[in-house]
Amino acid sequence: MKITLIALLSSFLISSAVVLAAGSGKALGSPTASVTIELYSDFACPHCKEFHDETLPSLITDFVNTGKVYLVRHYFLLKFQYSRLSASYACAAEKIGKYNEVSDVLFLTQRNWGISGNVDATVSSVLSPADAQKVRTLAKDPSIAAEIERDTALGTSEKVTETPTMIIVHKGERIPVAGVISYPILKMYLEKVLAR
Amino acid sequence: MTPRRILALTLRILLGCVWLYAAYTKFRESWLVFAMSIDAYRMLPQWAVLALARSLPWIELAIGVMLVTGLAMRYVSIAGAAILSVFFCVMALAHSRGLGIDCGCFGPGDALSKWTLLRDGSLLAAALVLVYLSWKPSGKAAHV
Repeated sequence: MKITLIALLSSFLISSAVVLAAGSGKALGSPTASVTIELYSDFACPHCKEFHDETLPSLITDFVNTGKVYLVRHYFLLKFQYSRLSASYACAAEKIGKYNEVSDVLFLTQRNWGISGNVDATVSSVLSPADAQKVRTLAKDPSIAAEIERDTALGTSEKVTETPTMIIVHKGERIPVAGVISYPILKMYLEKVLAR
Repeated sequence: MTPRRILALTLRILLGCVWLYAAYTKFRESWLVFAMSIDAYRMLPQWAVLALARSLPWIELAIGVMLVTGLAMRYVSIAGAAILSVFFCVMALAHSRGLGIDCGCFGPGDALSKWTLLRDGSLLAAALVLVYLSWKPSGKAAHV
């Protein structure tokens, strides 16, 4: 009886955590998908922009939107000048449900704000004035900085050293894949894993 | 046994084991994991990435077995050093470009870094010494 209760409580806690992740904006797709991809990236990293522009859209269309892959994006701070600032804005946007819009515009215009440092104007360009103000305020909140640090620490514990790094999880096996992988090859691998 | 022969024997066993281990780490995972490591270097077209991912582990296995057993030493030592030279140049080029990727040498999770360059550079140096020891200055084969 006690064991059953503990098992039920554990499964409730795990499913709650998954639902929270799914609703946070950083996670896309079905949490019950048989493959999970944990993606560590830095908005200021040029290779992450390449991955975001070239590989991610097809991955989302073919595997995430079809329920085959659960994508969980993580912040991982590298040593670029505006890594922390851009992550703070994205994390703040996540709190008001605008992560995808902000993430997209940050990668799209990386070459501009990466030089000027004007992350605020970049982010504000895809938000309403009210949302922009909320994000601006939230971005300065210590809890946002702590969350980004937690994500980076999680990546470090997974031996992530560079970005983008995907950790492809399937049936308990975790395969780290670093760098910009062309979509056709990633697709071949995922199809093979899903066919197992 | 002369010191020269002891050194040659040690190097060929050591390098043979390294080649065998490299092959093992690739056979352990799907060959497409290795294909993704090669692809991350962004130097080859897709067909070449797939062909190399399929064939390289077998080449590594063959070199490892031949080094350990001492078969066709003169030629295998040259082949091994040549392949290691290519690996080293490609890795150095990728590192100089600032690519944050896996080296792909010993399976996934082996990040390309100064350390991996030092490690592979040391292996290349050992392979070149083995080539030298496998050939007498006169051009005749040394029995190692």
